[in-house]
Amino acid sequence: MTTVSLLGVASYLPEHVVENDFFGAAASQRKGMFGAPTTRRHVARDEQAAAMIERAAQKLVTELDLEPARDIDGIFTNVALPDQAFTGCGAEVAHRLGARPRWVLDLHNTGCVSFIYMLALARMFLQTSELRGVLLCNVQNAAGRVFSQPELAQLPQAPVPGDGCGVGYVAASAVSPLLSLVQRCNPPFAGDMQAIADDGRRYWEPGLRPIALQFTERRVAAIIERGNAVVPELVSEACRAAGVRPTELDLLVTNQPNRIFLRNWCEALELPREKHHDTFDRYGNLFGAALPINIVDALEQQKLVAGNLLGLGGFSHAGDYAAAAVLRWGAGVPRP
Amino acid sequence: MKALDPAGLTGIDGLIRCEDYDRNALGEHLTELTHTVYPHAEVYGKFCTIHAHIECPPELVFSYMRDPYSLLEWTYSVRKLRPAGADGLLVGVDSGNTPIYVRTRSNEQALTVDYHCAWDQGSELWMVYLNRIVPAEIVLKRPGSVVLWTNCHHPYYDRNPFPELNQDAERAWVGDWWPLFFAGHTLELRNLKAILEHRFRRGQELGPRVVESA
Repeated sequence: MTTVSLLGVASYLPEHVVENDFFGAAASQRKGMFGAPTTRRHVARDEQAAAMIERAAQKLVTELDLEPARDIDGIFTNVALPDQAFTGCGAEVAHRLGARPRWVLDLHNTGCVSFIYMLALARMFLQTSELRGVLLCNVQNAAGRVFSQPELAQLPQAPVPGDGCGVGYVAASAVSPLLSLVQRCNPPFAGDMQAIADDGRRYWEPGLRPIALQFTERRVAAIIERGNAVVPELVSEACRAAGVRPTELDLLVTNQPNRIFLRNWCEALELPREKHHDTFDRYGNLFGAALPINIVDALEQQKLVAGNLLGLGGFSHAGDYAAAAVLRWGAGVPRP
Repeated sequence: MKALDPAGLTGIDGLIRCEDYDRNALGEHLTELTHTVYPHAEVYGKFCTIHAHIECPPELVFSYMRDPYSLLEWTYSVRKLRPAGADGLLVGVDSGNTPIYVRTRSNEQALTVDYHCAWDQGSELWMVYLNRIVPAEIVLKRPGSVVLWTNCHHPYYDRNPFPELNQDAERAWVGDWWPLFFAGHTLELRNLKAILEHRFRRGQELGPRVVESA
């Protein structure tokens, strides 16, 4: 089979830094699942997902010396809160970059772990079709779009999310090879995250109350238990498939829902905390964008260098999808 | 209906009760305390509790366990028990040739059987094996018994209080094995379960089957 590499990553963080006082006096005191980061970014009202991807992707284009019309013929996106109802933003991204994609996939599922899921799809396309290179695009914009609403900013979970965009470029190459990848769908957890308003209206129905995201309350214990267990399980499985032990990973990067999951995953994999790189305290829960953004951050801090064994892992929503991968990092450091 | 005396809990710090902690605040505490994995010493360092379901009625499990001579059958290395003093005190050997003293305290109504033991001497029985037998019908809605077995990390486990009584210079102290108590006791509880289930399933006398020996 053709070896597939993650040849580069880049990120874009919205300028607007939001401090905890925005969410009320109690925000910085909370612990547990709603323990707040020190800061996070919020997208501006008119900041489009496609524009965020463009800004991050331009860095990659420069870094990797890509000719978009030639080198980017696949574009996969996952956007937390799409710019438009009905349509995804992949075609708009292609337009902005001057790419001429043969395949565009705007994923509606796998949220927080969609970077790994898209990596799996990219590998499949690159191994079975004529595609030359795939741009993976993750946008988290639910913090500014949802949790900055005045009625919602006081909710305990409001300070946790933060916005950002991360992109990756995948091609047939042995430079930075994907050694293993496992992914799983857990159907019983599919219905446990909802976007609802407190007046009970559907999100498409007119009304005055804002829409928030929440988990099925009676299932919270099961969701926590699943979240605790599933990421270490899949990272271990990906390591087995790559023929290494989890403790041999030079760096682990995951999604970052909260400090509790980060602590528990790291403990369960018996990794020292410094080998599990996160940006939760600065950027909050970046949903699907956490993985590429954290890889960029690790590179900038030289915690990830060429030759390192890099583990990726995460789960989405209430645990409906989970995935993990192991790569031998060989790509360079993105220019800021 | 009874209600709380409003002043009854005044001055007691650190209580987590719904009057002061709403569900969100409770959730914070619960999630902070819930890990995916726990280091062995954190789980078994101060107390070592193990449990098993045994396909044998609780009163029969109790009768078997309250007879201290059953220890000859289901423990790994307690042997040669014989009377050694007042109040049911027995002495035998453990772990080779170490004298072990045992006094069994049981309560038929509570279905508890506690073995109070010590190596080398019988005047201070500090190695205490606490056992409670619970009808499985009540807690698991199935026949049989649940046996709960707890040891507490007595300070003597860390340091032999009577080193002068030790006759064997090569002997390891019982407390040096504390990190393996979960495993060791689990094996012995499996012995207990296997013996009782084997005999009960076949309608045999449960024993212990012991004979006088010189």
